Amino acid sequence: MKLVVIGAHRERNDIEPVAEAIAVSDLWLSAMLIEESQPLGDRDLLLRVAKTRAALLDRATFVAIRYGFTAHGSSEAIAKCTAHIDRWRRVLHEYRGMVEMTLKVAAAETRARPDRHDFESGAAYIRALHDATRATDVAPEFRKAVDETLAPLAVKHRWSNRDTASLEFAALVKRDDVAAINAAGAVLKRDFPSVPFLFSGPWPLEVFADDHE
Amino acid sequence: MTESSEEELSLLETLDHLLDRGVVIAGEAVVSIGDVDLLYLGLNVVLANVDAIIRTSQPKQIK
Repeated sequence: MKLVVIGAHRERNDIEPVAEAIAVSDLWLSAMLIEESQPLGDRDLLLRVAKTRAALLDRATFVAIRYGFTAHGSSEAIAKCTAHIDRWRRVLHEYRGMVEMTLKVAAAETRARPDRHDFESGAAYIRALHDATRATDVAPEFRKAVDETLAPLAVKHRWSNRDTASLEFAALVKRDDVAAINAAGAVLKRDFPSVPFLFSGPWPLEVFADDHE
Repeated sequence: MTESSEEELSLLETLDHLLDRGVVIAGEAVVSIGDVDLLYLGLNVVLANVDAIIRTSQPKQIK
């Protein structure tokens, strides 16, 4: 059997009986036990992990660990997470009772993604990809509307360029304000019917999990 | 948007968050699903979506 590690939590009660709880220092890791032979790309497993993640978030905010982290036993999981514990402790303390909401929006002007075959080295390709991504922007009136309607409801917010075709607005929101920010998102949808965007959440700490680095 | 396409969108968004967000533990391989670019980083052998690496390398804009 192996463990698929899902997140880092403050309390054991935030995890059990939804998932396995593994003590690491004064924090807890949530995990799912799966057969050694089960491939991580298995669709049913992905859906099970996604459902477990949602059930865990219903209980309490946690730091999300990207899918793919597996361990053969709790001691291996603990060893691999030890370096992160101090930061997770600070993030979980500071953002207790908060969740993330995200808005993905298509870029105003899609830039061509660089073609790997046009570059002699991988480094040059990555640089070109980086430059093309950074140059992508959203329609100014839409960005202004987001900054004026969603941002004030967030404790913290952050715009980031996702790729050459889209951007993302991430908001850290108190759980009590989720309904209000969802309502603001619906107004945005009404006011900008021609702008393709997706407002979703709540999510665990993902974008803001890297704070305090 | 129909109910089924909304459900599909919601599922895609859920999987995107699962596969593309959160803390990456050094030394762990992230699975590749579909046609995504993969990258090896150093001796820790972290496999990740190139777009995700570029995104996390951007300076944070905190307001």
